[in-house]
Amino acid sequence: MGAEQAWLLAAIPAGMFVVLALVGRKLPRGGDYLGILAIGTSFVLSFFVLADLLGTEDKLGPITRAIDWTQIGNFQLRMGTFVDPITVVMFGVITTVSLMVNIFSVGYMKGEPRYWWFFAVLQLFAASMLLLVMADNLLLLYISWELVGVCSFLLIGFYWEKRSATEAAKKAFITTRIGDVGLLIGIILLWREAGTFNIHEIISYAEGGHFSSTYLFVSMCFVFLGAMGKSAQAPFHVWLPDAMEGPTPVSALIHAATMVVAGVYLTARLLPVFEVADGTTLIITIVGLVTAVLTAFMAFAQTDIKKVLAYSTVGQLGFMFVALGSGNPSAAMFHLMTHAFFKALLFLGSGSVIVATHHNQDMSKLGGMWKKLPVTGTTFLIGSAALAGVVPLAGFWSKDEVLHSANTEWGVWALAIAGGAAVMTAFYTTRLFIRTFMGEPRDAHVYEQTKEPGWVMTGPLVFLAFLAVVSGLVVFHGVGKALGFPGGVTEFVFLEEAERYSIDWGLAALSLLISATGIGIGAWMYWGNSTRRSTSLATSYPRTYDALRNKFYFDEAYQWCIDRGLLGFSFLVSWFDRYIVNDTGVDGTAQVTGFSGYTLKFLQSGKLPNYAMGIALGVVVLAFAGILVRG
Amino acid sequence: MVPLENYLVLSAIVFSLGVYGVLARRNAVLILMSVELMLNAVSLNFVAFAAYLDPDRIAGAIFAIFVITVAAAEVGLALAIVIRLFRNRSTSNVDEAAIMKW
Repeated sequence: MGAEQAWLLAAIPAGMFVVLALVGRKLPRGGDYLGILAIGTSFVLSFFVLADLLGTEDKLGPITRAIDWTQIGNFQLRMGTFVDPITVVMFGVITTVSLMVNIFSVGYMKGEPRYWWFFAVLQLFAASMLLLVMADNLLLLYISWELVGVCSFLLIGFYWEKRSATEAAKKAFITTRIGDVGLLIGIILLWREAGTFNIHEIISYAEGGHFSSTYLFVSMCFVFLGAMGKSAQAPFHVWLPDAMEGPTPVSALIHAATMVVAGVYLTARLLPVFEVADGTTLIITIVGLVTAVLTAFMAFAQTDIKKVLAYSTVGQLGFMFVALGSGNPSAAMFHLMTHAFFKALLFLGSGSVIVATHHNQDMSKLGGMWKKLPVTGTTFLIGSAALAGVVPLAGFWSKDEVLHSANTEWGVWALAIAGGAAVMTAFYTTRLFIRTFMGEPRDAHVYEQTKEPGWVMTGPLVFLAFLAVVSGLVVFHGVGKALGFPGGVTEFVFLEEAERYSIDWGLAALSLLISATGIGIGAWMYWGNSTRRSTSLATSYPRTYDALRNKFYFDEAYQWCIDRGLLGFSFLVSWFDRYIVNDTGVDGTAQVTGFSGYTLKFLQSGKLPNYAMGIALGVVVLAFAGILVRG
Repeated sequence: MVPLENYLVLSAIVFSLGVYGVLARRNAVLILMSVELMLNAVSLNFVAFAAYLDPDRIAGAIFAIFVITVAAAEVGLALAIVIRLFRNRSTSNVDEAAIMKW
């Protein structure tokens, strides 16, 4: 088993999806153990791939394997897999988080209808994401990209008896689809010039300066549109909070490993091309910054645990895009990895709270849960601290890297905006933790019946909490070396310009100050279960508070556009179809035929002399006509 | 040797009589006879031209024989129809047989 056989990682869960979809219903316990077995196998195999990659001669060169797929004219399409450090990092993240989510779901989904189907789709989800990160050409990438979208649609709409769930699933699918169309156009544009779908050939073609700069700029903007849709960047962020309608393990999966990071991965993968296309990196940075700040504001006024976490995910993805826009993919991938672990932890933790409190996820009814849920509370605290950027947890190191690269590439303004977003992140994370786990219980009834779930659910939490603590340390050269890597994560993930991670003390201090400020404000506002300060703030600025609660009216604006723009246009089209195409074109032709037939049938009088006269006159007319024509 | 023009004029007169008969008569048998007149006028033309252009070649005469054959077959068929018409309607007036219409 080497990196050439990396396709097995995706093939095993995909095969298990087929098995579970066909016979899962009949298996005892819906075949959940088979799902865990499949994703567990991929998890183990990913280490073999890593070992193989580390053992190759030219250190960390990509290992590819492709087959001829089809030949159209002169165009030869090769499909294949491709393993390099970015892929391996993604393998690790996807398989780890998927495995934890699968195990957690055994507890969380217990007794739900269509239990077997849930596990089947989880396998397909993991398989398509694994395929996405090892695709060596954009066509295969696009196929798995859409598969990921379909799986998220199926899982967000898992409770399809609920209208809000089907609405959320549709919203997720359609919103990302707008971006996907952009991606498809971008891929076609790139192919038209470069004549290949192969990612590496496109990169070298672009680096050779064969694209005209405007052409490349336009195509890369289209490609980035796809990444924005998938990664829920503003203004496409609207689908992700609604995606909370799915079962909580699905939220963990979507937010940490499989769905939203696809956009980050795509941008990281094509970053050399983005860097050639002048101006796109600035766009990426600005989109990231705007998203980070915007969603941090929106998270302030949410009372649903999962919604707060959803906005924090969008914000953290914004940070990753800032890192990418600053030309530092290793920081982005590093933040992606640490974020995947602590965000999966936070979501599974909130799932644990939801199960423990019998489906209560509104913070205004929780509070004081730490006493009742010691394991969940402690792990949730670790996750929140990592998200807030407390040293030495994972989030601190990666966020510091992101801030550092933003500062070096774009200067103080980017650092200031990103730092502001980080302060807000720390603030609402503190708010989330205090309101849920500390203080006095707000709803005695809910509090009474709360009970810590079993180990099948807390086990994954503990494991992820462990990762959330230690995964940030791989940034250091010594730690990476000790684990058998050729250095820290910075040197591992990006081959060229291998650069040792060196801590920038000034920035680290600033970063620490940022999280301390956020946490401090959060604690000052909500400590001791007091909402006095926050309520007075909300009442003194009612308009701001309303705007925050309503998520800056994005949904309303989109709805207005759909109602006025899309439906108005649809009305015109339907009018044209009904009256021009149908009534005039189709029915009109039929009526002309019918009418002329009705009129002309009276020529057939049945009287023989009439026919004879017709023949005779016809001959005479033809004869005269012939004479006239011949001259 | 009778000049060609005489044959052609005779043929034209006979043909016109035939056309007149077809258009003016109502009796089915008389209409048939008029059709025969038109056919014979054409046959006369064929024979006259054949003799005039090249007396050794008899292509025109052969055409005339074909016309006679076809006319015989046609009359056989048509008279059978006329008999059926007469059996059914007790008349051979074509105006009476006008039900084949819209």
